Amino acid sequence: MRKPVFFLLLSFFAASAYGQLVFEQPEQSFKAKPVEGSIVAKYRFTNTGTVSVKIENVQTSCGCTTASLKKTEYAPGESGEIEARFTIGGRIGKQEKAILVTTSDAREKPIQLKLLVDIEDQIRIQPELVLWRVGEQADPKKIEVTVADDAPVKIVSVLSDNPSIKAELSELKPGKKYEIQITPTDLSRQGGATILIHTDYPPQNPQTRYAYARIK
Amino acid sequence: MMSLRQAVLILLAALVPAGISALVNPRRPPWSGDALLPGEEKLKTVLAWGPKVLWVDARSQNEYEAERVPGAVLLNLEDWDRLFPRFLDRWSPDQKIVVYCSASSCQLSHEVAKRLEQSGVSPVYILKGGWEEWKAAR
Repeated sequence: MRKPVFFLLLSFFAASAYGQLVFEQPEQSFKAKPVEGSIVAKYRFTNTGTVSVKIENVQTSCGCTTASLKKTEYAPGESGEIEARFTIGGRIGKQEKAILVTTSDAREKPIQLKLLVDIEDQIRIQPELVLWRVGEQADPKKIEVTVADDAPVKIVSVLSDNPSIKAELSELKPGKKYEIQITPTDLSRQGGATILIHTDYPPQNPQTRYAYARIK
Repeated sequence: MMSLRQAVLILLAALVPAGISALVNPRRPPWSGDALLPGEEKLKTVLAWGPKVLWVDARSQNEYEAERVPGAVLLNLEDWDRLFPRFLDRWSPDQKIVVYCSASSCQLSHEVAKRLEQSGVSPVYILKGGWEEWKAAR
């Protein structure tokens, strides 16, 4: 009679002795601009279990995201946070990155955190590349630069880094739409230029964007 | 006993059209990890294209410097403005561009391929299995 009661109690305590990290916001969304450089998300959590939990691994789905935490072991009731830093780089549009957290209480089933970043391209350059084939006629090609409606950005000048490929800026709609005319002077051989598009934003360190011309 | 036999017969009758659908339905789901995502190509296919391929390594500079596909050019979104002109200097419009990152699970090759296409460079393909696949085949 005693044995079943013992096993019942043992199984009850075994089931109730657990560690569990509960995250306040496992999915976080941000809006960002390319000039911001990076986004930092903080995932706060609490060990709501009855035993300590060790964070054994934090893995991100992309080299563009790094994750760090101050310590790895958390006592029952203790809170902490994982800091994820997402580098914007040349990314534009909607980005979805995952952070997998492996803990000692559930090694086979990592906790998945999500980082959603919507990067608004304030300056749209279309096309980014203009191409001529060697020997073709040296007709000028156009690059359109569009500034987002709510963006406090102006294009102030353009410059080609190759004197034999000329770049000329004209404003189609004040402060919002521009056209860059690219004219090569010599299409008899391969060559190229980087077109520097100078803006006035942010005022303390104005951003330069780029377009490219190639003769192939 | 009779009802069991009838149940088996119904099951068998259902299996025939299900099997046909699994074989010929154009929207059938992929059954294995060998299925290609849009834009992906298998290593075997890419190797068959011969020398008209420009390999693009979408991993970090450190990974690229440690080991890479011979002749591959480094291009990632972390340093796009510096690397893209170097890529353009190596690229010829007659080449097929094949982007790879570490493994099937990484997304960097898909991101770089998308950005290349937005920039007006084509055709762009993604190596299924990435660098791991390349290494395994060597």
